[in-house]
Amino acid sequence: MRRFAAVALLAISACKQAESPRLTPAELPNTPWDKIAQAARGTTVTFAMWAGDEERNRLFRSSVSKSLLREYNMVLHVVPLADTADVINKLLNEKGAGKLQKGSIDVVWINGENFRTAKQAKLLWGPFADALPNIRYYDDGARARDFGTSVDGYEAPWQRAQFVMAYDTSRVTEPPRSIDALGSWIKAHPGRFTYVAPPDFTGSAFLRHILLHFGGYSAGFQAGFDAKLYKDASEKAIQFLTEIKPYLWRRGDTYPSTLKELDRAFANNEVDFAMSYTPSFASTRIARGEFPSSVRTFLFDRGTIGNFSYLAIPFNASNPEGALVAINHLLSVEQALDLSEASQSQFPISLDKLSATERKRADALRRGPATMSNEELAAHFANEPDAGYLTRLEQDWLDKVLRR
Amino acid sequence: MTARRIGAIVTATGALLPLVLLTVYSFSRNWFWPRLLPAAWSSRAWVYVASPASEISPAILTSLWIAAVVAAISVAIALPAARVLAWVEFPGKRAFFFLLMLPVIAPPLASTMGVHGMFLRFGLTETVTGVILVHLIPAVPYTILMLTGSFTRFDPDWEAQARTLGAGTLSVWRYVTLPAIAPGLALAGVFAFLISWSQYLFTVLIGGGQVITLPLILVTFQRGSDEAITAALALVYLAPTVLVFVLMAKYMRRHA
Repeated sequence: MRRFAAVALLAISACKQAESPRLTPAELPNTPWDKIAQAARGTTVTFAMWAGDEERNRLFRSSVSKSLLREYNMVLHVVPLADTADVINKLLNEKGAGKLQKGSIDVVWINGENFRTAKQAKLLWGPFADALPNIRYYDDGARARDFGTSVDGYEAPWQRAQFVMAYDTSRVTEPPRSIDALGSWIKAHPGRFTYVAPPDFTGSAFLRHILLHFGGYSAGFQAGFDAKLYKDASEKAIQFLTEIKPYLWRRGDTYPSTLKELDRAFANNEVDFAMSYTPSFASTRIARGEFPSSVRTFLFDRGTIGNFSYLAIPFNASNPEGALVAINHLLSVEQALDLSEASQSQFPISLDKLSATERKRADALRRGPATMSNEELAAHFANEPDAGYLTRLEQDWLDKVLRR
Repeated sequence: MTARRIGAIVTATGALLPLVLLTVYSFSRNWFWPRLLPAAWSSRAWVYVASPASEISPAILTSLWIAAVVAAISVAIALPAARVLAWVEFPGKRAFFFLLMLPVIAPPLASTMGVHGMFLRFGLTETVTGVILVHLIPAVPYTILMLTGSFTRFDPDWEAQARTLGAGTLSVWRYVTLPAIAPGLALAGVFAFLISWSQYLFTVLIGGGQVITLPLILVTFQRGSDEAITAALALVYLAPTVLVFVLMAKYMRRHA
């Protein structure tokens, strides 16, 4: 065993010896972009991303790979992930075992809690985001904070998402566009509404809308955790949730535990609303034949919360130059348009940062029958409250709503 | 006899119903309550599974290759071990047996983290070799357990009898031992194959995303929302198990 391991180690070190030292984050600010692009030429970049989406997988396999090869002579290798947390665990172990370079992943798609963990444990290569030429297209707020965690250049915004509700026009003529209206609707239609139980990501997001509503969408929600604001808003939110509970699907005795279950209950006409953190979800489901074609999405008038997901570089990436070039490429207007077109996802770039021709192309993006326009979504965009509200609200829901 | 037949029918239905359901799901479009069958059918999921873009075919080949090697090595390790465990009494045998079974008893998450650190130090992560080695951890104990059963039912005196009749070690093995334990041997190998075939956590951790097997892709889709593709992948994933089941049923009918 030991002999075998020694041989394996020797083989690995032998074939990697001749390489030049890789770029360090400290050198980045003084390195011209051309030099980075030059160093990236002819390399392979490994991109770890959640790969449970057919359209996105197809796009990466074909046009994204081809454009990287054409423009930078780079080979893109996609590592399919079931869960980004798998990568975080892997990096934690590698850090513990002293594998500080020659890691197998150059770029990882990340946000929220995974980013916070990774940043705290110093698992990321950076800061790098502000060195990317294409970062200028992206929202300043997204570049500053990710779920309340300050970004500090350790990840670059890439994809955008916003919470939407869905209804079937053949069943509901006018959906409730505020939390108050939703409350009245639920009481008037017993058994026809439910939400996914937290800590499911989407169920938790639904609860945050109620918290924001009773806190008057105060700007204080983004400025760290405010105990008084939380107490006032959460008391009313919990009261609201307790009041509607007997009118929910199965009298609130049980909740769907995954989004899939809620989707199915909605498609099977058990409940009248579905929800998602992906604005195009209803269109995608219609296209796949999982929702009836009469389904449409709607927003709350005072806004629904949205967030960004990001691209980051692991601390032990073998090819940081390639990672930087690939990320910059993915952030380009051209690639953002392609990706939004192919996966019908929300266009991530702030429209006011585009030139007139780019703007025209963004406006002309094909979107599914149930997806709202970029303008409509942007006009109803609300920021995610600080992560401190999230954990407390989930706990209070568990103690005061579920277990009562 | 009728009771047995009813039992067989119930068992067959219980085993087949999920497969039928998965098959319908993988071809379904617009399947809403209260419809008994989908309103429309589509081969989209299967087209994707077969397309090069999904990279599922190479993942299946990787899975098959790893599982075959794991099965071969497991049997090679388990054969002498099981023989001794079945026939020879020695002090500390029970403790030894317990030690052997430890990887099966201990929660996998607890052992994987330590294993990952070890493999990192030996440079075995992100290689097929590393994945094969780590699959042996759950596969070998089961293989030993199954083969020990075979050897226990085999009387060592039969080997002695053959030897007194002039058979050499090789002949004894070929004409006496092997035929007697062959069914157990095949079963143990198949079992090791299926254990490796179904590994997720070990593969993710040691393969580091560089060794892509079928379960990795299946779990990815299962955590997504695409039901048709998930169902199609689940069927591919179940195929070897179903095949083994059918072959075993055939074999048992022939030897009943």
